[in-house]
Amino acid sequence: MKYFLSFIFIFASFLYGSEADIIIKEVEDNLRGDFMYAKMRMIVTSQREKRTVEIESWSQSDTKSFIKILYPKKDRGITFLKLDTQMWQYIPKIERTIKIPPSMMLQSWMGSDFTNDDMVKESSMIKDYDARIISKTSGIATIELLPKSSASVVWGKIIVYVDLQNKVPTKEIYYDDLMKEVRIMNFSNIQRHGSHNIPMVMELKPLDIEKKKNSTKIIFEIVNYDTPIDDSYFNKNALERYSN
Amino acid sequence: MLFSLAFKNILASKGRTFTTFILSMFTTIFFIVYVAFTDGTHEQIIKNSVEIYTGYAHINTKGYQEESDYDHLIENSRQLETFLSRESFISQFSPRFETYVLLSQKDKTVGSMLSGIIPSRETNLSYLKKSLIKGSYLEDNDTKAIYLGSDLAKRLSVDVGDEIAMIGSSLDYSTAAELFKVKGIFKTGLFEFDSTSAFANKAYLDQIMLSENKASYFVLRFVDNEAAEGYVKTLNENLPKNYESLSWKDLLFDLVQLMQVDSLFGYISISVFFFVIFFVIMIFNYVNIYTRVRQIGLLRALGMTPKDIKTLLFNELFIITLFSVILGAVIGSWIAYYFEVNPITIPGLAEMYKDYGIVADVIPTRFDIPTIIWNTFSIFVLNISSIFYPIYKINKLSVIEAMRYV
Repeated sequence: MKYFLSFIFIFASFLYGSEADIIIKEVEDNLRGDFMYAKMRMIVTSQREKRTVEIESWSQSDTKSFIKILYPKKDRGITFLKLDTQMWQYIPKIERTIKIPPSMMLQSWMGSDFTNDDMVKESSMIKDYDARIISKTSGIATIELLPKSSASVVWGKIIVYVDLQNKVPTKEIYYDDLMKEVRIMNFSNIQRHGSHNIPMVMELKPLDIEKKKNSTKIIFEIVNYDTPIDDSYFNKNALERYSN
Repeated sequence: MLFSLAFKNILASKGRTFTTFILSMFTTIFFIVYVAFTDGTHEQIIKNSVEIYTGYAHINTKGYQEESDYDHLIENSRQLETFLSRESFISQFSPRFETYVLLSQKDKTVGSMLSGIIPSRETNLSYLKKSLIKGSYLEDNDTKAIYLGSDLAKRLSVDVGDEIAMIGSSLDYSTAAELFKVKGIFKTGLFEFDSTSAFANKAYLDQIMLSENKASYFVLRFVDNEAAEGYVKTLNENLPKNYESLSWKDLLFDLVQLMQVDSLFGYISISVFFFVIFFVIMIFNYVNIYTRVRQIGLLRALGMTPKDIKTLLFNELFIITLFSVILGAVIGSWIAYYFEVNPITIPGLAEMYKDYGIVADVIPTRFDIPTIIWNTFSIFVLNISSIFYPIYKINKLSVIEAMRYV
């Protein structure tokens, strides 16, 4: 009987583990799509001020993306290119393209609470983390993601709350190596665009007491998953070419 | 009487006296010189770090040390300047604006700490100008001129006159970008500093970063830098409540602690040596006293008490040790003083130990009289304490046992 119960427990854990993987994969596939064009507003609130950045982005699967800053005027025309884990930036004011070095990957991106690493991360929740369901109710699954030993990732743990019906996250809590909560990302206003559901509002809030007034909110204005994006966006020449 | 008898015994046992004298003297010399070299090196490392760039004290907003970001800047730099100029114990001060940027040249991009400084005022506060190795130092009216650390210049593969791109974040968090020309290259010898630091004229950098009338902190120099701690305390009592002043001991807390730990390990290592010396002297005394056991038995038979014997033997070692440590202290002090004035130079030393903050090819020595006094006193106490066990053993023998001792 004891062995039978152990077997049932291990089998159930395995099933639960694989179910978690399936949920996470469905969420990733839903959010990424093969192609994605988006126009969005990023509202950055800091202790000093609140500012809005308007962004246009093009991406192909999870490896290639191109970002262009539309607003504020001072930053208009700045472009970013991400190819796998590498990132370049073009600044029209000085007409230079620079490669963001690995040492700067944890620095803030455009003054927001996102880091350069967030922008380039190829890290996939399914590839780099072991997923486990912590709880599951009718509509929401709470999944714990622990980094695989072989993965080179920033977080010590991520807890994801998944809306099972729409296959989107509703909340993500990020922990550091010491298992201290570092930041929370909330997702809201889920809308359907083509064959994908997407939370149109994402808000990132750092939990550091020094940054209690900080937050970064991204509001999607236009999302298009169904139109293929030309390859010309995903090479270094595009940085200058599409800057204007 | 006991004292003169002790003196006679010292002169009578020349071999024993000489050996004990030499052992104590060399131990004293060794300890003084060792501590002088260790303290000299530690002091030099800290002094370099303080004087090269950190400075003797800073004033910043509370929380800046924990989060050195734009949310913790000094928002009204001029107001603070007015306050500081009224303090008579501050001899020089200057604001600095520090920000992390990317510096890029062709296909090379590196992260760097770019500091906006007032070049003319900085000459009295840091070694930046003195550390120039190529090109020229910054001036107060410079625009688009950048002053780079030698290792940073190497990492970027740039030389004087070359153009480099700077990309950072201005105070409104928009992208700040500019093309700078390398005006000069400096080398302080602090490897980390030379490989990450770049400087520009603050007035110009303020235009790019929108940091006019703002500063990360003020760096201070006092009329008497030895009294920095006291001045910092006074400043903290008088500064507006949002500001704090920190002395170099707080600013270089990790380094100061590292030096203290290093000294402690040094003392632990050297204590093994002293332990050996202690036992050598004790065994030597023990053997010597036992060779005189019949003489001591005779003295006891003639009416001396064990206490007299103890005093006699103690006096003998006291006299020998006193003279030997005094001579050792004089010689050790002279060596420490000589090498402080004429430090040993080893070509290539700075290059080899650059990661440890060694910036010159010399081994610095610190001649410090209070340190020498406690060093000498330690050896004196150590040597004197080595006599107690032999005295205890000899006094356990009865008069008859002592006189018949073979």
